[in-house]
Amino acid sequence: MRAPVGVWATEAEQRPRATDGRAPDVFSRDGHVPMRQFEDGEDVDFAIVGTGCGGGVLAAKLAEAGLSVVAFDAGPFWRPLADFASDEREQDKVYWLDERLSDGDDPIELGSNNSGRCVGGSTVHFQMVALRFRPEWFAARSRLGYAVDWPVDWRTMWRYYAEVEDALKISGPVSYPWGPDRGRYPYRAHEVNAAGLVLARGAEALGVPWAATPLATVSAPRGKSPPCVYRGFCKIGCSTNAKQSVLVTYIPRALAAGAEIRDLAMVGRIESAGDGRVTGVHYHRDGQWRFQRARNVVVSGYSIETPRLLLNSATDRFPDGLANGSGTVGRYLMVHSNHAVWARFEEEIRWYKGPPSMAVCEHWNYVDDHPTKDFDGGYAFMSQGPLPVDFAKALVSNTGTFGTALRNRMAEYNHMAGLKIVGETMPQAENRVTLDEETDALGLRRARVTFSYADNDKRLFRHSLGFMKRMIEAAGGFDAYETSSTAHLMGGCRMGHSPEDSVTDADGRTWDVPNLWICDGSLMPTAGGVNPSMTILANAARIADRMKALAARGELAARHA
Amino acid sequence: MSEGRLVQRRVAGRGPVRSMNSRVTGRSHAAASAARWDTAIGSVGAALIVGLVTAVVAGRAMRRPIDRLPADRAALKVRDGAAILGASVLADSAMEHLRGGFYNPAMFAAPVTAAAVLSASVAEPDPRERTFAHGAHAAGAAVGATGLAFHLYDVGRRPGGASWQNFFYAAPIGAPGALLLAGLFGLASERIVAIEHLERHPRERLRIARLLAACSGLALLFESAEVALLHFRGAFHDPAMWLPVTVPPAAGLALLHHAARPSLHRDRLARLLTGTTGILGVVGTGFHVYGVGRHMGGWRNWRQNVLAGPPTPAPSSFWGLALIGLASLDLLAAEGLPR
Ligand SMILES: Cc1cc2nc3c(=O)[nH]c(=O)nc-3n(C[C@H](O)[C@H](O)[C@H](O)COP(=O)(O)OP(=O)(O)OC[C@H]3O[C@@H](n4cnc5c(N)ncnc54)[C@H](O)[C@@H]3O)c2cc1C
Ligand code: SF4
Repeated sequence: MRAPVGVWATEAEQRPRATDGRAPDVFSRDGHVPMRQFEDGEDVDFAIVGTGCGGGVLAAKLAEAGLSVVAFDAGPFWRPLADFASDEREQDKVYWLDERLSDGDDPIELGSNNSGRCVGGSTVHFQMVALRFRPEWFAARSRLGYAVDWPVDWRTMWRYYAEVEDALKISGPVSYPWGPDRGRYPYRAHEVNAAGLVLARGAEALGVPWAATPLATVSAPRGKSPPCVYRGFCKIGCSTNAKQSVLVTYIPRALAAGAEIRDLAMVGRIESAGDGRVTGVHYHRDGQWRFQRARNVVVSGYSIETPRLLLNSATDRFPDGLANGSGTVGRYLMVHSNHAVWARFEEEIRWYKGPPSMAVCEHWNYVDDHPTKDFDGGYAFMSQGPLPVDFAKALVSNTGTFGTALRNRMAEYNHMAGLKIVGETMPQAENRVTLDEETDALGLRRARVTFSYADNDKRLFRHSLGFMKRMIEAAGGFDAYETSSTAHLMGGCRMGHSPEDSVTDADGRTWDVPNLWICDGSLMPTAGGVNPSMTILANAARIADRMKALAARGELAARHA
Repeated sequence: MSEGRLVQRRVAGRGPVRSMNSRVTGRSHAAASAARWDTAIGSVGAALIVGLVTAVVAGRAMRRPIDRLPADRAALKVRDGAAILGASVLADSAMEHLRGGFYNPAMFAAPVTAAAVLSASVAEPDPRERTFAHGAHAAGAAVGATGLAFHLYDVGRRPGGASWQNFFYAAPIGAPGALLLAGLFGLASERIVAIEHLERHPRERLRIARLLAACSGLALLFESAEVALLHFRGAFHDPAMWLPVTVPPAAGLALLHHAARPSLHRDRLARLLTGTTGILGVVGTGFHVYGVGRHMGGWRNWRQNVLAGPPTPAPSSFWGLALIGLASLDLLAAEGLPR
C-alpha cells in the first residue's frame, strides 16, 4: 500500500534531503539519484545562490561543461508525485512567504503571485505561459523611444529562446501570429479549454489575432513526464510532473552532470576579501551556519532576494553592499500589472479545467501606432482559470463582496471567464528593494520593497481594461467587472552598458567585483509585456555559454577591460 | 510615499492546518466522478464485447463452408479486412463518443452501424442485392459519409476554423472515413463475388481487380494522412511513430502503381509493403497499449487513460486495409501478370 500524498512533505521542509551522496529523484515518490558532493573547504568553481530559472540553468550547463558547481536553495527539494496535494492551502508551502515589508504608493503583494522558495524556484508553481519578448524590446530606447536598451541583441536571444524552449519541450501552436519566425515549438499546443475559447471568440469578434498559448507542460509523453492531465492545479505545483519546471528539467541534468544541490540552505552573506574579490558564501543549513569556498559566486535569488543578499553582504570596503558602487542594486524593480476583466456566461465554462491560461492575445504588444494607444510598452492578455480559493480572495479584496453575496458570486464559478493582462511597467529608480531594520529568524535584515506605478503604467492598464471589457462582452459575457493586482518581478540588479547605471555587464558579471555574478530575473533592464520566465531562462543559457567561453580562455575571474 | 504597509503573514502559523491538510490525497479529487465514469465506461466496454461477439457469431453463421474460387477467396479476404475496419471503428467510436459524453444522440449511430458492418462482413458474400449484409454495408458507407460531413462541420464551426488546432482536437476526419471505407469495401466484396457467379468477361474482371487495388492504395494514403496528423500532434515523441507514416503510404503508392500498370515485379513490391503494413497494424496496437501506460497513473488508471491516451483500436485499421490490399493483389495475380 502506498502512503498517501503528503506524508513526507513536512519532512522535506525540516531536514535537507540532498545529503549523503544522493538527492531526491523527482520522478519517483521516494527514490534517489546519486549526487556528487563537495567539501565546504573545497574551492569550487561556482557557488550558485538559488536554483530557479537563472540558477537551475547555470548549474546544469556549467556542470555539463565540467566545472564544479554547488547550488544552494533556501527551500525544500520536493518530489511532486509524493509531496504535492490537490489543495490550495496545503500548497502554500511552495511560495516564499517569509515576511517582507512592502510600501510605496502602490505597495505590491508579495508571495504567491511572485516568488517561490524551493529547488526549481518559482517555476515549480509558475503558470507555464512560455512567451518570447518582442524583438524591439531589447532595444526599447533606440527602437521604441522608452526606457533603456538591453546590452544584448535580440537575434542572440532568439537563439537561446529556441534552446530553452527545447529543454522545456514547450507545447506551442504550429504558427504563432506575432513577431518574427520562431521555428516549430518542440511539442504541439494543447487543446484550448472553454475559458480559452472565450478569448478566441472575443478576438475573432473584434478582429484581432489570438493563439493557443505556448505552455511549459507537455502535450505528449516526454521521458518520465506524462502528458498534462488538465486538472488545472498548476499554480500550486504540478503533482504529475507534466509541467516542465526547472525542478524536473534542468535540476536532474545538473545532478547527472555532477553539480551538488543543497536544499534548505539559506545563503545569508557573501564573503569578500581585501582585494575586493568574493571568496565564498555563508549559508545556514541543518541548524548551523557554514561557509562554502568558491572561485566564483553567482546570485540567482530573483528580484528581491538577490539585491537583499548583496545589500546584506556589505563590508567596510563595500559599505553600501556588494556590487553597489553605482547605487543601482535594488533599483529599477518592475512588476507586471495584472489587471483583469471578469464576466459571467450563460453556458458552463468550468475554467479550472486545464492550465489556467490556454489562449493568449499579444495584439497590443505589436501595435505601435493606434489612435487609442496612449502608452509606451505593451501588454499581453490571457484567458484565466483561478482555483476557487484564489478566485474568492480576488473577489473579496477587489470588490469587497462578502457573506451571502460572496457565496452567490462563488456559485457562479463554473459560468465565469476572465481576461487578465501581463502589463509592462516602466523601470523607475525609486521602485526598489532596500533593507529594513527588522531581521528574520536567522538574523538577516528583511527586504523592504517600494513600488509606485508610473503614469504610463496607469494609462497602459486602463487601456487594457477597456479593451478586454469589449472583448469579453463580444464573446457573450455579461455582468463584467474589473480587478487589479500585480504579478512577476523583473529588475532590481539590472545589467547594462555602463557601470554608472547598471549592476552587471552583458555577461551578468558585476561591474565592481570580477568574480561575482548575477543570473536571474533581476538582471532584466525592462519588463516587456510577456511573462518573464522564458526570457530569464534564455538569458541564463546565454550567460552560461559566455562563462564557459571565458573559463576556456582562463578569463573567468579576470577584471573588466 | 503613502503609509501602505503590507506585511506577509508569518509561516509559523501554518503548523496545525498543514498536518490536517496533508492527508488530502491525490486520489480524492477524482473519487466522486470516477465512480460514475466507472459505470459508464464499464457498460460501454461490456456492450462493446457483447456487440463484437454477437456480430462475429451472427456473421459467421451466415457463411457457408464450401470450396471457393479465387475471386471468392479474395472477396472473403476483403470482407475480413472490412470486418477488422468495422471492429476498429466500433471500438474507437464507442470510446471517443463516450469521451464526448454522447452529447448528441447521433453519436450512437457510429458504433451501431460499425457493429452492423462488422457483422455483415463476416457473413457469406452474396452477389444478390437485397441481403442484410448489403444493407448493412450501404448503411455503414452512408453513416460514414454523413459522419465525415459532420466532423468537418465541427472543425469549421470552432474558433480558428480550418486550423491545425481544430484538425488536432475537433472531431477527427479520419474516424468516420474509416467507417465509410469499411462500408464501401464491404459493398465491393459483393461485386467481386459476382465476378465468378455472373461469369464476367476477363477484361471486366481485370478492371475490377485494378480498381480494388487502386482503392485500397488510396485508402492507405488517406489513413496515413490521418495518422500523420495525429502523430504530428504527438510531436513524434517516439521514433516508432514514424513507422506508420512511412510504410503504409509506401504500400499505398505501390498498390496504385501496380493498379496502373500491373506487373510481377510490382506485385512483389506491393505485397511486401502491404504485408508489412498489416503487421504494423498489429504491432501498432502494442505500441498504443504501451503509450496508454505512459499517461499519469499508467494502466492502473485505465478508466481515464484509455480515453486520454493513444487510441488502442486505431492501428488495427491498417491490418484491415492491408488485407484488402492483399486481396486485390490476389485478384490481379489470378488474371495473370506480365513480367
Ligand atoms: C504564481 C506565479 C506564476 C507565474 N507564472 C509564470 C508564467 O506563466 N510564465 C512565466 O514566464 N513566468 C511566470 N512566473 C514568473 C517566473 O516563475 C519567474 O519570473 C521566474 O521563475 C524567476 O526566475 P529566477 O531564476 O529569477 O528566480 P526563481 O525562479 O524565483 O528562483 C529563485 C530561487 O532562489 C532561492 N533563493 C533566494 N534567495 C536565496 C538565498 N539567499 N539563499 C538560498 N536560496 C535563495 C529561492 O528559494 C528560489 O528558489 C510566475 C510566477 C509566479 C509566482
Ligand atoms: S493541468 Fe497539467 S500542468 Fe497543470 S497541474 Fe495538472 S497536469 Fe500539471
